[in-house]
Amino acid sequence: MSFLSDTVMLSRIQFAITSIFHMFWPILTIGMSWYLVVMEVLWLKTKNPDFYRHARFWSKLYILNFGLGVASGVAIEFEFGANWAPFSVAVGDFLGSILGFEGTMAFMLEAAFLGIMIYGWNRVPPIMHLLATMFVAIGATLSSFWIIIANSWMQTPAGGEMVNGKFMVSSYLAAILNPAALNSWFHMVLAILETALFVIGGISAWYILNKRHPAFFSKSFKIAIALAILVTPLQIIAGHFSGEQVYHNQPTKLAAIEALWETVPAGKSAPWNVLVAPNVEEGKNNWTLSIPDGLGMVLAMKPQLSEPVLGLNEWKPKDRPHAVSLIFYTFRIMAGIGFLFVGLMGASVIQWLRGKLTVQNITEQPWLMRAWILAAPLGYVAVECGWMVREVGRQPWIVYGQMRTADAVSHVPASNVLVSLIAYTSIYLLLFACALYFGSRIIRQGPNLEVSLPHEGLAKSSKTGHITQTVSN
Amino acid sequence: MEPLNTTLPLLWFGLVALFLTIYLITDGFDLGVGILTLTAANEERRGIIINTLSTVWDANETWLVCTGGLLYGAFPLAYATIVNALYIPITMMVIGFIFRAVAFEFREHSINKTFWNFGFGGGSLLVAFAQGLVLGGVIAGIKVDEAGNFIGGTWDWLNLPSILVGLTVVQGYVLIGSTYLITKTEGELKRYHYITAKFSAITTFIGALILTIAAPLFYEQIRARVSHQPEILIFAVIPLLATGAMGLLLNSINRREEKMPFVWTIVVFLVTILSLAFVVFPYIIPFSVTIYQASSSLSSQVLMIAFIGFFVPIILFYNVYLYRVFQGKVISPHYGD
Repeated sequence: MSFLSDTVMLSRIQFAITSIFHMFWPILTIGMSWYLVVMEVLWLKTKNPDFYRHARFWSKLYILNFGLGVASGVAIEFEFGANWAPFSVAVGDFLGSILGFEGTMAFMLEAAFLGIMIYGWNRVPPIMHLLATMFVAIGATLSSFWIIIANSWMQTPAGGEMVNGKFMVSSYLAAILNPAALNSWFHMVLAILETALFVIGGISAWYILNKRHPAFFSKSFKIAIALAILVTPLQIIAGHFSGEQVYHNQPTKLAAIEALWETVPAGKSAPWNVLVAPNVEEGKNNWTLSIPDGLGMVLAMKPQLSEPVLGLNEWKPKDRPHAVSLIFYTFRIMAGIGFLFVGLMGASVIQWLRGKLTVQNITEQPWLMRAWILAAPLGYVAVECGWMVREVGRQPWIVYGQMRTADAVSHVPASNVLVSLIAYTSIYLLLFACALYFGSRIIRQGPNLEVSLPHEGLAKSSKTGHITQTVSN
Repeated sequence: MEPLNTTLPLLWFGLVALFLTIYLITDGFDLGVGILTLTAANEERRGIIINTLSTVWDANETWLVCTGGLLYGAFPLAYATIVNALYIPITMMVIGFIFRAVAFEFREHSINKTFWNFGFGGGSLLVAFAQGLVLGGVIAGIKVDEAGNFIGGTWDWLNLPSILVGLTVVQGYVLIGSTYLITKTEGELKRYHYITAKFSAITTFIGALILTIAAPLFYEQIRARVSHQPEILIFAVIPLLATGAMGLLLNSINRREEKMPFVWTIVVFLVTILSLAFVVFPYIIPFSVTIYQASSSLSSQVLMIAFIGFFVPIILFYNVYLYRVFQGKVISPHYGD
């Protein structure tokens, strides 16, 4: 239990736990905000009140998740200084401005229009409400942009150099558009959309399976399928480009993802490992199950590699990641879920084309519905796994090749970090359980199909001069 | 480049101060209302009180997130050293924020609301007190090495003055929360918050008075600053201004005016913040690192001023719009539109 007195290890665990927990909420709310935009546009175009009721129903789940996202995000912002002060100082010139941009451009836009989006239905005209929802979605998506830029820069630092332990930026554009930046952001945005779509589709499927408002929920179900036609295959492509980027810019991470110990020279082929038992001490795999010539197919879409793939043994143990099993398996779980989503989308489209998803037939597709229900949590699993690959795979560096994680930790006694770690962990476990409980209550209660349209049924309260903040939902 | 080197950090100090000021006023009443929910007589009243915040709390809290981001961007060393030095109160504050933020929804959906009522009110109280400890810890000075990195002890911030600052900040937030509720509620609730406003105005004044007298006695650095010529004039005028504003505030409460107590409370806040800025300036880590030593590179500050300077008016505009959309009294404890 020596890590209990190791500030570096405890700070790493705390950052891991707080960011794993934080991740659960924004990935749903960002994706769902775009779904709400779609619903509102459909409502305004078709005048079908069902779309309005959908917007009202899903925004209940939205707001439940939102508070958790804000709260756990504030924790992370302060952790940069509290637990990682030397890092924050060394890279402050770049990272500080990025966080400043994120706050003023993105967070504030989202936060201010959130109030109107959730409570403003009767206060502003429908078109202004749609604008508010769009600003929330844009603000949230911009937040994801800036935070991915900051993190990508830690993966593939560019646009300057370390001088006396401080990163001096020579070109902000080069730093912002670092090699990992844009492909990581596309990959993440698609992951966010996928997660939200499969949650919405899965919940809709649950109602359809239980024959609760099947006609109503066949709408949200089919919209989820329609959007998945676009999103799921794009994600495979984005994932491939992300992999290529890691191959070229972060060779230690790629070697850990593939559990590759010995270098494969250019022009040679190598197997692609499906299952391995890595032996970090001896620098080899105890056993492997692999596909012959698969590595070239995965990295370059041909059996022979045109560039070498460096093995982990090219580096001293102190210069390469240690948690090889974790990186190897979380990568495969993430990628596997990506392909599973494509398969489920394909099966759903086939059933749709066969006319099995009409309002009359949709309740007779129990297996498809069960598959969607089971797929609902998988987006979260894939995102969390992907981030473990990204962050653990970057070790031992906090800024790849420039600054070691061990040199980045604050001047704080281990006991302080231990106490805050225990506090965060126990609070987050409680909140996670509560979120699941309240979320499932909202789902079990179901939508309010009698909710009156905005600006209707308010006459009596506005006569008295007060517009009440009452629920009609 | 020489003029830029001196004006930019100055400009950034002003901008960070502006964001912090807006934060202290908006989240000040937000947290104050949160604390006041602990005194609500019944569930209906508590619901109405919380409902006065539901549309604005997130925007209010975001001013802190922005202040943190700007402080980090413009003065990375100050952000890192201060947050590092105040590890324990900062963590307390974050935990308070977490309970507060989730309680809005969790309370709404739970059958037995007691736990989340306490989470909301207690969380608000914890945030307010922790922010006071942070302020007290900063004013007391932070021990750093020659590079400006924190080298002090874990408990350096904990002393009698910082606890007094903590209590005074709680009082100040209750005051601004009470005067905000006067503008947003009616009937019995409004009457009740005239009483809490008056009470907290008096306790805030007493706390501030003790601190104004005690700080120069406790801290040599502050003593040196306030007795220095010609600043001594400023430090003589500010307490008079604060006392005057406090008198006008009490008067407007006694006359049961509706909007003016809130306005005068804001004036009291502004005067207090101004005096703190004078005490601290030009240090950003009191009293060892100046804004010039802690500032990020020139190019970073120029880039940020171009981008963020562009966004500041836009942010202010839509925040005002938000408040206008939801202007008027809140009379229902129910949640929603």
